Amino acid sequence: MTKRTLTSALLSTALLFAAAPAPAEFKPTKPIEVIVHTGPGGGGDVLARFIAQAVEKEKLAPVRMQVNNKPGGGGLTAMNYVVEKKGDAHAIAIFTGVWVTNPLTQAEAKVTVKDMTPVVRLVLEPAVIVVKADAPYKTLRDFIDAAKKTPGQLKQSGGSITSRDNVIRQLMMKNTGANWAFISFPGGGERIAALLGGHVNMMVIEPQEAGEHIRAKNMRVLAQVADKRLPAFADVPTMKEAGVDIPNVPQVRGVVAPPGIPQDAVAYYEDLFLRLSKTATWRKYLEDQQFEDGYLRSAELSQFFDQYANRMRDILKEAGAKIVR
Amino acid sequence: MDVASGLIQGFSVALAPGNLMWCFVGCFLGTVVGIMPGLGPAATIAMLLPLTFKMDPTSAIIMLAGIYYGAKYGGSTTSILLNVPGESASVVTCLDGYQMARKGRAGAALGIAAIASFVAGTVGVIALMLISPPLAKVALSFSSPEYFALMALGLAMVVLLAGRSLVKALMAMLVGLWIASIGTDLFTAVSRFTFGQSELLDGVDFVIVAIGVFAVGEVLGNMEQREAAQVLPVPKGLRNLLPTLEELKACRFAFLNGSVVGFLIGVLPGAGSTIASFISYGLEKAVSKHPEKFGTGVPEGVAAPEGANNSETGGALVPMLTLGIPGSSTTAILLAALILWGLKPGPLMIQDNPALFWGLVASMYVGNVMLLVLNIPLIPLFAQILRLPVELLYPLIFGISIVGVYSVSGSLFDVWMLAAFGLLGYVMRRLDYPSAPLILGLVLGDSMERALRQSLMMSQGELGILVSRPVSAIMLGLTVLILLLPLFRKANAWRVRALEENG
Repeated sequence: MTKRTLTSALLSTALLFAAAPAPAEFKPTKPIEVIVHTGPGGGGDVLARFIAQAVEKEKLAPVRMQVNNKPGGGGLTAMNYVVEKKGDAHAIAIFTGVWVTNPLTQAEAKVTVKDMTPVVRLVLEPAVIVVKADAPYKTLRDFIDAAKKTPGQLKQSGGSITSRDNVIRQLMMKNTGANWAFISFPGGGERIAALLGGHVNMMVIEPQEAGEHIRAKNMRVLAQVADKRLPAFADVPTMKEAGVDIPNVPQVRGVVAPPGIPQDAVAYYEDLFLRLSKTATWRKYLEDQQFEDGYLRSAELSQFFDQYANRMRDILKEAGAKIVR
Repeated sequence: MDVASGLIQGFSVALAPGNLMWCFVGCFLGTVVGIMPGLGPAATIAMLLPLTFKMDPTSAIIMLAGIYYGAKYGGSTTSILLNVPGESASVVTCLDGYQMARKGRAGAALGIAAIASFVAGTVGVIALMLISPPLAKVALSFSSPEYFALMALGLAMVVLLAGRSLVKALMAMLVGLWIASIGTDLFTAVSRFTFGQSELLDGVDFVIVAIGVFAVGEVLGNMEQREAAQVLPVPKGLRNLLPTLEELKACRFAFLNGSVVGFLIGVLPGAGSTIASFISYGLEKAVSKHPEKFGTGVPEGVAAPEGANNSETGGALVPMLTLGIPGSSTTAILLAALILWGLKPGPLMIQDNPALFWGLVASMYVGNVMLLVLNIPLIPLFAQILRLPVELLYPLIFGISIVGVYSVSGSLFDVWMLAAFGLLGYVMRRLDYPSAPLILGLVLGDSMERALRQSLMMSQGELGILVSRPVSAIMLGLTVLILLLPLFRKANAWRVRALEENG
């Protein structure tokens, strides 16, 4: 080996080190605890268990992931638990939109999502606006016009007033000047039953949930709450296309970690979930559930939290909720 | 497809050796989960879900459904033996089941619970098979005013659950209603009675109150009479461990009542098995020739609620399978499971996957037989637990109660609440307040308030909506009748006394 090749070899090695981002030094050495705020079977729990299974199947991490359910307190029990785990790089948590919105109205909350380390945003869940199949409204415009004619008479079924359903309603009412009632039901089944029974006129629903009701001609979809049309609803206008230009308010899920974990651990998880989001298993999951890929890195997620909280604060204030922070 | 050919296809699926095995696994796991207080079928199914991804969806749903209805069988065991409700739907079983055990009829009570479960479970499947689609439509016509009327009817049962004093029963019920109002209000996102504790934001878990007031309260009360406390009589011999013919005869109507009430309430997405068991118990007492004996250990008092909570399973599957609407937390998870397996639950599922639907229905017949065969031989075994001396039995009950509560949420706060409700149960016993009305108020309070507010929002504040709809008007009328029952009885007593004085 000549001196020259040796030098170039050394040089290229050095360059390699310089060019590639510092490889994550953090490697998990024991099972990773995945904290969720619902009991087994809740939305976050199903996602967490799917992630744990997919990571194992695709051999993405050297250790297993273990789901830990911390239900209660409208998510606060899990949030408190995450903050108490300060500095623990072997714990992550699945957050949803309520981790941002609930502390806005709950004086009991001692922590917010800003007290944790943002890791990644993973999925955005779009929504569709549906009416019963035999309803007189063929388009979103028809519904809005009918609501304007009889203010407060038409009804929408949905969850709590802090839920996305109501946020979309508030934004739509503000944009169009129409006005209709929002009736809260605790369970998704009851909301659908109220619509199919003809007791309410409209609801905001997850596309996957609505799909079969639409196919069976029990429901008609008026518009989709998404930036671009979903593959399964290619002939349904987005809100903007339907003439109601409101900001997109997706249901969001992703990962946060306890406060004060090392930067290289954050980088490790960012990379782990990036690799996960590129697997076929994950792609198929998103497709089956009709979720959108919402991958964002830690720094972007942090900004997203701020924007989301500010927007929700304004919307909830208008909805008449008592804002405490 | 007609029912006969569907069933033939179904049994050919359900009786395949693999599916038969999964059905047994499900029923067995369900029984175990039902026996253990705290951990319910919903949580078990969710935790086993990832294991089923590689299974054939039909086998998987046969197994998961087995856990669902199997848990309803097992739930009565600790209610009867230890006064610890194994799951929320078994609370009512404590009332007469535990009293039967105290009278040395533990085996009989367990046997009646198993038979009632079998009969009602089977009736539930038959009804699911024959009248699902039309019934699902009827269920959809139920709106908030009807739910309010149903809850009011349920709440009126307090008159029937009251012991000696109606006033005390009403006070206990009000405490139950108050506990139900703790937590975040769905309509306004305002928290109520949380005293700044974030643990209370989701309200108080029903299981904690039921185990505290029933089991812990009972043990505390008994400990006081330590001198007098004796080992409960457990007669020897198989004959004494199984229900007698008279006891079974007394339950004839209860089997029917439980089956029908349980199924009908199960079909409604906004009710649940706990409400079903309360209503069928109340109905049983209302038509009984000896209502005064309820609560002292009558077999009908076990058969009716146990039947209702098993038949409810068949009912709850109706909206799930025919409409894709989950009626309870367990069916919601089953629905999520179907999606994960790549099926499309919804109004067209039976058409698209007849083998799955009929296989499931047939497996439920098979499963109910399995559960009966599995449970009857266990009765003599379980009844032996009462032979334990009190110094072992009471700590055991405490242990089971604490583990049960802790396993629901994994929170120590809940264990402290268990202690508090145990003390409440003890004080209520000392002062002769019945505990069943408290549980009744707690079960119904939340849904009743919600249904009322939903109704008034729909009618823009017009109270007439509650009586202008025929179904809700009829139920409210019945409610008033039940509430007036004690007055009639009193008036009758006066009349009799007046006649005697005159004569």
